[in-house]
Amino acid sequence: MEKREGHDNKYGMVIDLDKCTGCGTCMVACAAENNVTVRADESDKERSIAWMQLYKIDNGRPFPDTEVCYFPRPCMHCDEDGRGGHHSPCVSVCVATATELDPHTGIVSQIYARCIGCRYCQAACPYHARYFNWWDGYSSFKPFSKGMERSLSPEVSPRMRGVIEKCTFCHHRLMRAKTKAYAENRRDLREYEYITACTEACPARAITFGDLNNPDHMVSRLIKNKNTFRLLEKLNTQPKVYYISSKEWVRKLADNYLPDQIKPVSGNDI
Amino acid sequence: MGSDKKKFTELLSVNRRNFIKFAIGGAVGTGLSPLPWKLIDDTAIFTQNLPWVPVPETGKFTKVRSHCTLCPGACGIEVRKVGDRAVKIEGRTDHPVNPGGLCPLGMGGLQLLYNENIRCKSPLKRVGSRSTGEFEPLSWDEALRALTHQILELRSNGKAGSIVAIDGYNSGSTVSLMIKRFMKAIGSNNYIRLPSMEGETAAVSKLMYGSDTPVAYDLENSDFILSFGCGLLEGWGAPGRLLNTWGLWRSAENRENATIYQVEPRASNTASKADKWIPARPGTETALALGIANVIIRENLYNKTYVENCTAGFFEHEAEGIKQRGFRDIIVENYNPDRVSEITGIGPDMIISTARAFAGAKTPIAICGKGKGTLNGDINEFMAVHALNALTGNINRPGGVLIGARPPLSELPAPEVDEIASESLKKPGLTLGNAVLKEYSSQTSAIAESILKGDGQEVDTLLVFSSNPAFTIPDGGDFYQSLAKIPFIVSFSPYLDETAMMADLILPDHTYLEKIDDMECPSLQYSFYGMTQPAVAPLYDTRNTGDVIIRLAEMIGGTTANSFPFKTLEEAIKSRVQGLFDCKEGSGKYNPSDTPSKFISAGTGVTPDFKDFKGMWKQLKNGGFWYNPLSHIKNNADIFNAPESKFEFMSSRLKSLIEASTAKPASDTLEEPLYMPHFRGSEKSDEGYPLMMIPYEMINLSSGWLPNPPYLNKSLFDSQLKGDDSFVEINPETALAYKLKEGDKIQVTSAKGSASVRVHLFDGAMPGVVFMPMGFGHMAYDDFSFGKGCNPNRLMGANIDPLSGQPAWWYTPVKISKAI
Repeated sequence: MEKREGHDNKYGMVIDLDKCTGCGTCMVACAAENNVTVRADESDKERSIAWMQLYKIDNGRPFPDTEVCYFPRPCMHCDEDGRGGHHSPCVSVCVATATELDPHTGIVSQIYARCIGCRYCQAACPYHARYFNWWDGYSSFKPFSKGMERSLSPEVSPRMRGVIEKCTFCHHRLMRAKTKAYAENRRDLREYEYITACTEACPARAITFGDLNNPDHMVSRLIKNKNTFRLLEKLNTQPKVYYISSKEWVRKLADNYLPDQIKPVSGNDI
Repeated sequence: MGSDKKKFTELLSVNRRNFIKFAIGGAVGTGLSPLPWKLIDDTAIFTQNLPWVPVPETGKFTKVRSHCTLCPGACGIEVRKVGDRAVKIEGRTDHPVNPGGLCPLGMGGLQLLYNENIRCKSPLKRVGSRSTGEFEPLSWDEALRALTHQILELRSNGKAGSIVAIDGYNSGSTVSLMIKRFMKAIGSNNYIRLPSMEGETAAVSKLMYGSDTPVAYDLENSDFILSFGCGLLEGWGAPGRLLNTWGLWRSAENRENATIYQVEPRASNTASKADKWIPARPGTETALALGIANVIIRENLYNKTYVENCTAGFFEHEAEGIKQRGFRDIIVENYNPDRVSEITGIGPDMIISTARAFAGAKTPIAICGKGKGTLNGDINEFMAVHALNALTGNINRPGGVLIGARPPLSELPAPEVDEIASESLKKPGLTLGNAVLKEYSSQTSAIAESILKGDGQEVDTLLVFSSNPAFTIPDGGDFYQSLAKIPFIVSFSPYLDETAMMADLILPDHTYLEKIDDMECPSLQYSFYGMTQPAVAPLYDTRNTGDVIIRLAEMIGGTTANSFPFKTLEEAIKSRVQGLFDCKEGSGKYNPSDTPSKFISAGTGVTPDFKDFKGMWKQLKNGGFWYNPLSHIKNNADIFNAPESKFEFMSSRLKSLIEASTAKPASDTLEEPLYMPHFRGSEKSDEGYPLMMIPYEMINLSSGWLPNPPYLNKSLFDSQLKGDDSFVEINPETALAYKLKEGDKIQVTSAKGSASVRVHLFDGAMPGVVFMPMGFGHMAYDDFSFGKGCNPNRLMGANIDPLSGQPAWWYTPVKISKAI
């Protein structure tokens, strides 16, 4: 096994919940980019597949003090815990080596051809970021074809029934950017040369994507913000997706905190 | 022995009992053996090897630039193609309206192109009864001949006026102008646009500002926005622009964040993300605006220079020799915070602090137009809101209210009218019997009024363009019902929508990704003109409606044909674009560091960058755009330099309209003139309907004529739609009073109709109000939309706006009962 001495790059995402308007464009852009399947009844959330999922939360206070906020949730691309212990929850349970943590990019991959459909990873993921294909989503045959398979992108393989799928940080975009860079005789990517489809699509520019290992990248600066947090941080899964919110009630809902566990951030609290 | 033998033969004989024994034994035996499981497994493995899952064909990667015309927002899009197939729509980074971003509907647009179950694939003729969807394909020649014949016959019978067109194309687009011109040439005054906020914005512009072009708001340069129910994050105006601007307002780097106050009865996205949420009772927004005006006037916070020099009707004045009290005195007398607090449910402190914050800001703007602004607005409320803008004087300057200027496109030559047509044009078009503002508001509802209440002689043939009024008109289903009684309906929709299902003839248009089209965007604070180009070749036997109209005119012949001196839509667009070139202003390039709002605040124009017309046309035809950041500011100089043009707190134009109108709106209790903004309260007694139903719009649910692309359905929560049931949001307190719990099925009943929905308990819903999402309840399209949820339009329409005569959809008294 390859010796792991930290990643060359560590791609990560910062989502500013103060900017996020909950419009759902990230979800649509993600589905369109990654050939995610659609079902007639998308309201069956146990069957619906959404690599990027939008959650709605509210502050639980009665009218008229109610306030809502949205959590866009891609795959967190969990990392090693840095203490020589476990790595990403899904990677550590996969019996088929169908999901791996790439040491060069920090991206947690999903290899459909290897997946045997046991769904251990789905059970292990604390963020519900993994989805199982109970049926073939797209079909080229009548009467299952609805013509929509004509917009499938050749950059991402459509999944067959019986495998798990999840957000890949638009890995094919990394490949695309690298190919371009190599053609221009560069080995390093510029900032924003590789961004995910959701980052690109967000009309409010709430999502920032970049290399967390590169101190010059905006993401590295943003995670130093005092209002930055991650989901279920106590599990020590080391997600590479960060959130920013100036509202304490939002930050509180990011984990199952006991009353004395969350420390208020001084400054612009609500 | 004998009996044993008998038993043995009985055992062997095939009687009923033995047969059943054998069958059950066999079944149990097979079940215990590995055979069936092995067979099922083998079948599963076998079918997994069948090539069901498509392998997307690869090809050359290209990008096509164009515009999204799904709403009037004019966002720039870039369609990513692989070979001949479009695989993704992305926002254009080189575009002034939406630098990079898009709304979810625009992002999911490919499913409106490729979903073949919703598309109309060739001209169709109805063979079954209406709404059953039994059609027979026919050739374009046959279809055009049928329509030509119909029009010629009505014309020869002197009934050209009974041809009615409903136009849902974006206002100012060339196709829209051609439909209007076609109607005039054949001799009908019944060219009707769909109701939308644009109509009322234009009306306020005319009534108070005295301008023929609608007002626009320089939100990007404003530091305080007081929004009266505008769904800034729900798709209001140009969603790409608003969402982008919101991100800028909320970015940490931005030192000059705008403060946003949202007046709305529900904790919507906008209300939650705003700095302050003011949950005024629905229908009392006018009173709140006037209450704020009251505080501003009493505390002398208004802009005295502006009010004294640039407005009329504020002070006591003489009108036709009679002393007339001014806006100031009436407002001070009638709208003190205590009274307004009683009406709106907002505490006097909040009213006072809002007024102080608003008047104290450098560039405050008050805006109006509820939800996405795709339905008509309340003129009175619009007037009250603009009175606030006049009090601060933040008009005609950066960060304020600007009077729009249309892009200087060339006029098309005037249509020719023959004898039959000119005779027929003497007859007035359909108008709502009770409307004062006939010219300014959409008369779509007049169709239903004529058919359901009158003899229906006025409507013989209905042409429906780029819209689905059977689904979108908030009139309790009146329009839908009246469709059944219209002798001949022609739909030009690319989709088999509710209206098309009622049609006798469908002449399908291309979708927006398959055709050449153009648009203005009147909600922008600068003039803009953009063109779309076909991103993919037409998939089916459809034709651009612009070209179809030209062909129709040609077939009708005579002056109608002469009115269309161009062979194609493209030629017509090209002749209009000439005007853009001739004005020698404007640019077709966008640099992200020079946004239009920067130009406006700096007061410097763009360098005109079109060298010759040929180059300009080529650029525009490739999905290009033309914009002039300073157009509105310049236009304002023209308008406001005229000595008589003043902002009118008391609209003299409305006054004369009311005097000329036969239908007098009910007199009010406050003795305020009807032609100034005033609050009248609800006129009807709402007995039997103790609750209010307020529809709400979501940015991720298409609420207009288009079905929701399936990708967007993913983003809907299962507390909004579950299976085929949509949910209404109700405050837990209200639910308790009706003994309702989460997910309960209820019946919501208004004077107009009844609907079955489920309950979602939401603290952010105002008590006593039932909030129903708009966009569900399609009775056409495919599995992804058909029969999902309930359409609130079917409950609305009992209340009528007294000035425009249109349904007051923003307020519907209802009752609820638990469904058993």
